[in-house]
Amino acid sequence: MAEMKNEFHQPVVGRRAFVGGTLAASSLAFLAACGKKDAPAAGSADAAAEGVTLNFSINNPVCIDPYNVQEDQGTQVEFQLFDSLMKYDFKAEDLKPLACESFEASEDATKFTFHLIEGAKFHNGDPVTSADFKRGWTRLVSPKSAIQVDRGPSQIAYHLSQVKGYDELAAGDADDFAGLSCPDDLTFVVELSAAYADFPYVCSHPALAPVPAAADEDANAFYLAPIGNGAFMMKPGTKWEDGQYIDLVRFDDYYGDKAVVDGIHFGIQKDIETSYKEFQAGNFDVADVPTAQIDACKAEAGESKDGYTMSEGGRMLLGSEPSTYYLVCNTTVEPFNNADFRKGVSMAINREAICKSIFKGTRTPADGIVPPGMDGYREGAWEFAAYDVDKANEFLDKVAPMNGDSRGIEMVLSYNQDGGHKEIMESVIGDLARVGITVTSDTPEWSALLSKYDNMDFQIGRLGWVADYPIMDNFLYPLFHSDSLGGDNKSGYSNPEVDKLIEEARTIVDDTQRVAKMQEADAIIGADLPVIPLMFYTHTLVGSSRVKNLYIDPQKKAYLARAELTA
Amino acid sequence: MGKYILKRVLQFIPVFFGVTLILFALQNIVPGDPIKLIGGGGKAMTPEAELNLRIRYNLVQVDENGHAVLDENGDPMPVPLMDQYVTYITNLFQGDLGESYQRKMPVTEILANKYPYTIKLAACAIVLEAIMGIGAGIISAVKRYSFWDILVTLSTSVLVAVPAFWLGMLLQLIFGVWMKEWTGGAFSLPISGAGGAASQYQDWIHYILPSITLASVSTAYAARIMRSQLLDVMNQDYIRTAKAKGLSNRAIIWRHALKNALIPVVTYIGVDFGAMLAGAILTETVFNWPGVGYEIYRAITQRDWPIVMGGVTVVVVVVMVINLLVDISYAFLDPRIRYGAPKDKS
Amino acid sequence: MLEPSPTQRAGMAATADTKGVKKPEEKSRTLWGDAFKRLRKNKLAVFAVIWIIFIALVAITADLWAEPWLGSPTASDSVAMATTSLLPPSAEHPFGTDPLGRDILVRVIYGARVSLSVGIMATAISTAIGLVLGAVAAFYGGIWDTIIMRLADVFLAFPYILFVVAMIAVIGQSLTNVFIAIGILGWPSIARVFRSAILTVKENDYVDAARAMGASDARIIARHIFPNSVASIVVYATMNIGGAILTESSLSFLGMGVVPPTPSWGSMIQAGQAYLQTAPWMMIMPGLAILSTVLAFTLLGDGLRDALDVKMKDA
Repeated sequence: MAEMKNEFHQPVVGRRAFVGGTLAASSLAFLAACGKKDAPAAGSADAAAEGVTLNFSINNPVCIDPYNVQEDQGTQVEFQLFDSLMKYDFKAEDLKPLACESFEASEDATKFTFHLIEGAKFHNGDPVTSADFKRGWTRLVSPKSAIQVDRGPSQIAYHLSQVKGYDELAAGDADDFAGLSCPDDLTFVVELSAAYADFPYVCSHPALAPVPAAADEDANAFYLAPIGNGAFMMKPGTKWEDGQYIDLVRFDDYYGDKAVVDGIHFGIQKDIETSYKEFQAGNFDVADVPTAQIDACKAEAGESKDGYTMSEGGRMLLGSEPSTYYLVCNTTVEPFNNADFRKGVSMAINREAICKSIFKGTRTPADGIVPPGMDGYREGAWEFAAYDVDKANEFLDKVAPMNGDSRGIEMVLSYNQDGGHKEIMESVIGDLARVGITVTSDTPEWSALLSKYDNMDFQIGRLGWVADYPIMDNFLYPLFHSDSLGGDNKSGYSNPEVDKLIEEARTIVDDTQRVAKMQEADAIIGADLPVIPLMFYTHTLVGSSRVKNLYIDPQKKAYLARAELTA
Repeated sequence: MGKYILKRVLQFIPVFFGVTLILFALQNIVPGDPIKLIGGGGKAMTPEAELNLRIRYNLVQVDENGHAVLDENGDPMPVPLMDQYVTYITNLFQGDLGESYQRKMPVTEILANKYPYTIKLAACAIVLEAIMGIGAGIISAVKRYSFWDILVTLSTSVLVAVPAFWLGMLLQLIFGVWMKEWTGGAFSLPISGAGGAASQYQDWIHYILPSITLASVSTAYAARIMRSQLLDVMNQDYIRTAKAKGLSNRAIIWRHALKNALIPVVTYIGVDFGAMLAGAILTETVFNWPGVGYEIYRAITQRDWPIVMGGVTVVVVVVMVINLLVDISYAFLDPRIRYGAPKDKS
Repeated sequence: MLEPSPTQRAGMAATADTKGVKKPEEKSRTLWGDAFKRLRKNKLAVFAVIWIIFIALVAITADLWAEPWLGSPTASDSVAMATTSLLPPSAEHPFGTDPLGRDILVRVIYGARVSLSVGIMATAISTAIGLVLGAVAAFYGGIWDTIIMRLADVFLAFPYILFVVAMIAVIGQSLTNVFIAIGILGWPSIARVFRSAILTVKENDYVDAARAMGASDARIIARHIFPNSVASIVVYATMNIGGAILTESSLSFLGMGVVPPTPSWGSMIQAGQAYLQTAPWMMIMPGLAILSTVLAFTLLGDGLRDALDVKMKDA
């Protein structure tokens, strides 16, 4: 998921208008059918003929070809079609091999050797070899690859920017990805340009999948009907019908446990309200729930116990997602260059009220930048990411003592008005007024807001971050390391101590020790508070009464191969 | 006649270039970098990936090997604006509107997907407008100062003052939400989307509320024009003569007055149809309608310039052509119009 | 026309209801006095004037009574939010509350400030530009006329709302920028109206006479042409105010209007969209406010047109 959730930013359209539109568009009542429908929905018609099909509602994806899967909708489909080298098991809180038997890392965490599973096949019957991984990874970076010539450059090449030879390949100066080698068909070696012990987690990203030779031979056909190595394959003879549907069927030659259901029908819906309406009419087995319907849905479907597994006891998922909604402070200018001021602002914001009143509990108050579910998350990690008006006033008194009912401080809060941010920010503004800070809104559109961030032309603004991989590094490095200045580190935060700790952590191969080192860095950042975390996201998914068992992990990837339906 | 048409067509030229130039100027002064926004802008791309995108969209100069030309600071050099504009116009005349930054699809394909929905909605709305507007106008004029006349006059005043998006939401509330409650869930109208494969409704039902919303304001105008035109015509000599000859009121209205009074109304409705084909972003926003107006609006907010440029250009040409057709047919219908007479109306 | 520009709306409304109207030329010295008498007899117009004055007074004096009575229109109280959010209309909150627990009535009252100021300021701007360009086009004719009128064609060819949205995207969101954008883009219709008004007046003998006596162009425009066109401008501008209010509400509805937490009727409706089913009062009340205000300006414009005996040319 290379991009932040759409709720965070503008209606990136076509992208996740689905959720992006949620608050902007109407959360309307579902409506009953006003006539009897003769034919069942497209998917269920197929289901009758071909066994059990699971109907899954998605928004039109950006891309289902691994070379450019970025948002959760496209990833959902791609994840069923392709297996990457690794997968992160959120239940066991452990990284596990998926398309490989095992891997080993060099002492200095710059070289990783993966041993692939023997006998694995692509959907077209080709064996899966190390060269296929190299091909898949190369086409993601090289502007000369057939797919990039056809469909444009990938925006997610950054996943591999740590790999040796990335710069030359991305600049079009090289044809070969120097850091990738294939000593034999089942051995895949990755060399990095700098230590990065978390790299195997990167390899769990669905985009880093193998592709068969067919992907280069007819890139355009592959783009619409990818041939992967996953438990499901594109239904023969079909392709991604833009704005309509994507049909998958079970891949019987799959090397792992074969899928339980016979097929999946991804019905593409324009907006979350329509989708939920269709769900209620029985046309979908899994759908998103509009905020206005959360309470009613919870009562009817029952809340899942662990928040991630749909079962007969509870089919509504409200488990937290590894994504954080936060305010970014420009630490290079007044007044946010003062840590006391940042802390005062942070502790004046009533996060609980926003989560409860506006989001009906589908967000949880953030107590740090690293969300729950990540390896290394600690409850209450950031002392100052909490609501405490008295302490807020203490901090603010150090900066500017109260004079009457104002501190004589004015600050400008930048955010985009769409996507439902308006109410959240209005609530924040109300909270700050009560501690004597006058806030003015600056509301450019998302694109213009990004430019302001890039030029450091703001005081404090709103942002969100979604984890690509469930590791602390994925939050701390891009958001706070000084190498990321000018990129995703928009607060201008630069602390040599933090840089050093993150770099050290990256060289530690042992998971526990590495996480401990990251937590040290996290603690220092939390004490400096360059950003003010507000909320963590949660799922808002519901399953139909047909669903007996379905696990959807915190990153929203559905384990559909393991899904069980009542026939 | 031919001369008149030629003159009108020639008038397209400055408008066409004016519109494309304004669009092009906008593109270059609006804050926000469209390339950084590709991929949502949530996570920074690597500089190489970003540069490759700029090369693909002809925003930076490239050498014969397809590499970006760098200036002395090592920065890529942008393609001069004039060259970009010339390229755009040249491609436009070859039917190529470029490729959407966000969607990686040819703009022509995107517009081809969206236009049918806009056309169908406009057609429904225009039928509604013609029937309701002309009908109400006639009743109001014939039964002048009656209860019906006052009702029509008042309701048209109100309709003109209603924000279309609010009316749309009100209809959703009444026919979607409340009607469902009143009927215990048995009946209600769909409130969003245009139907489609998995829809529980038949497609045409989706058109009811959006087309009422879209037609509302223009129906009011059509009714007002109809009324005043009919009253105007009824006052004219030939109608008085007919009256004096003892023809029945009904016969006068249907055989004589209406024919002439209808011309301006039909003209108005024709021009309005052109405007509807330009898309209706508010109606489309409220009803989540996959039409061309909302698509262009979203493209502006996303800085997806190829869609904005292509979409607006197409829309403007469509509107101009429809207006021309309306004017020509007007000239056919009303012999008083001389071709070539100076006209302000565009 | 669907979603027409304010001036288009005003123009059409004006064209629509004119029947057997006399030419505006020879007007008595007591034009305005007569017009006032006639206006007073028009019940709808009188009612419209009363309504507009009422809204304006409420908006201007709101600080004195509305905020003490109903609470702040902007600030929310996050501690009380759990119990005050989304309350249906009641004696305490006549129009109900929003998700942040703010009173809808007080927000509607303060929203009037935005709507009225945008309506008036935007109209002032478009009228000023339109008058100058219209006068130049009509008076100097020739190449000036061609350039200005073709420019007007270009502006009118653009889908109006999209043009305003694009303009706001360029200059940024703020109250001032909203009326600048709406004002600037509204000039073509007013220029056309004024141009044709001048062309009519220009043919009159007294203009020729003035010119023969050596009067400067500026003097002719100021002394002869402007006074004889002012009636149509007043009518037009009045109707334009209603149109500008509608445009502002559309902009705010799209999230391109004034910045939060300043309440604007359009943005309140937009906020109510998500709560259409659970809290319909959020969108109903601000919508009624827009409707009644725009209607009042339209009726007043109609009344003025009849009273001043103006025949509007097509715009």
